[in-house]
Amino acid sequence: MQPADLEAALRPKLGDRLLTVEPFARTAGRVRFRRDGALDLFRTMRDDLAYRHLSMVGAIDWVDHREVFYVLWSDERTEYVLLSADVPADDARIETASGVWPSANWHEREAWEMVDVLFDHHPDLRHLLTPDGYAFHPLLRSFKLHEPEELEVKTRHV
Amino acid sequence: MASEPAVPFVEIEALRAQQFVPAAKEALSAMIAERGQEKVVRPVFNWAGRNSLFPLHWGLACCAIEFAAAFGARWDAERFGVVPRSSPRQCDLMIVNGTVTWKVAHKLITLYEQMPEPKWVIAMGNCATGGGPFRTAYSVVPGVDKLVPVDVYIAGCPPRPEAMLDGILRLEDLIRERKE
Repeated sequence: MQPADLEAALRPKLGDRLLTVEPFARTAGRVRFRRDGALDLFRTMRDDLAYRHLSMVGAIDWVDHREVFYVLWSDERTEYVLLSADVPADDARIETASGVWPSANWHEREAWEMVDVLFDHHPDLRHLLTPDGYAFHPLLRSFKLHEPEELEVKTRHV
Repeated sequence: MASEPAVPFVEIEALRAQQFVPAAKEALSAMIAERGQEKVVRPVFNWAGRNSLFPLHWGLACCAIEFAAAFGARWDAERFGVVPRSSPRQCDLMIVNGTVTWKVAHKLITLYEQMPEPKWVIAMGNCATGGGPFRTAYSVVPGVDKLVPVDVYIAGCPPRPEAMLDGILRLEDLIRERKE
């Protein structure tokens, strides 16, 4: 599937909530969308375009904004596709994909604790890799490596 | 016990198993009558404890591979009476073999508290000793002695099984000197 085909299939469902579809190496393309179209896009990808497997969800801190990205795999098309949405750094939130692909659950927990992107309506947004009550989001660019003693004081969990 | 003369169960160790119980009973009764209970019973307990150290059978990171190798055929830690047990209730030695993260810290403390007294801790490898290369990382405890008291530190990344056995023998020296 080419990026133009992807755009033709998605544009009627999403309208201007679909921004662009770019070519991306070894995938069907990268779909950039506005975050208010997230749920419609997820359902369209799964039900109409047969992308039934969510391979991963991640987030990137670009300092002035944050990007949430999704990697989908289709057994029928045997190809990947990327979805990508920009969220502002001061209001970093997006609708959860875990209602559409249950495998998004843990990926979104990790993205939340590492890059501080909040996933609305997530069923179980707890810490995954860091202890409960952990005070930092370590993969943010603003995170500085701490002296061990300082980290110990700020990490109140044991 | 460094200043004390050697106690007679050094001779007992050389006896055959069949003769052991009556000989030990006789020797201990004589020693207790002569020197008092504390000076005899304590070395016996220390002797028994240091020759049957049961470490907790668990692994945290790559040091656990060396830990496993030390109990294999080539190094055979069991010849020192060291047998890993799977339940902390049966253990008196915790070998912290790997990187301790803050996430696993309270589980480590729970396991330590489940072990019956007397108990000892060996920090195996650089990560357990001081955080190792991850010392300033966001998720790693900089040394397991922040969580539990450590008796012996073993350096290495990871330490070879010989180093682990050396650490266990040094712990046995500590137990030999134990007073309370």
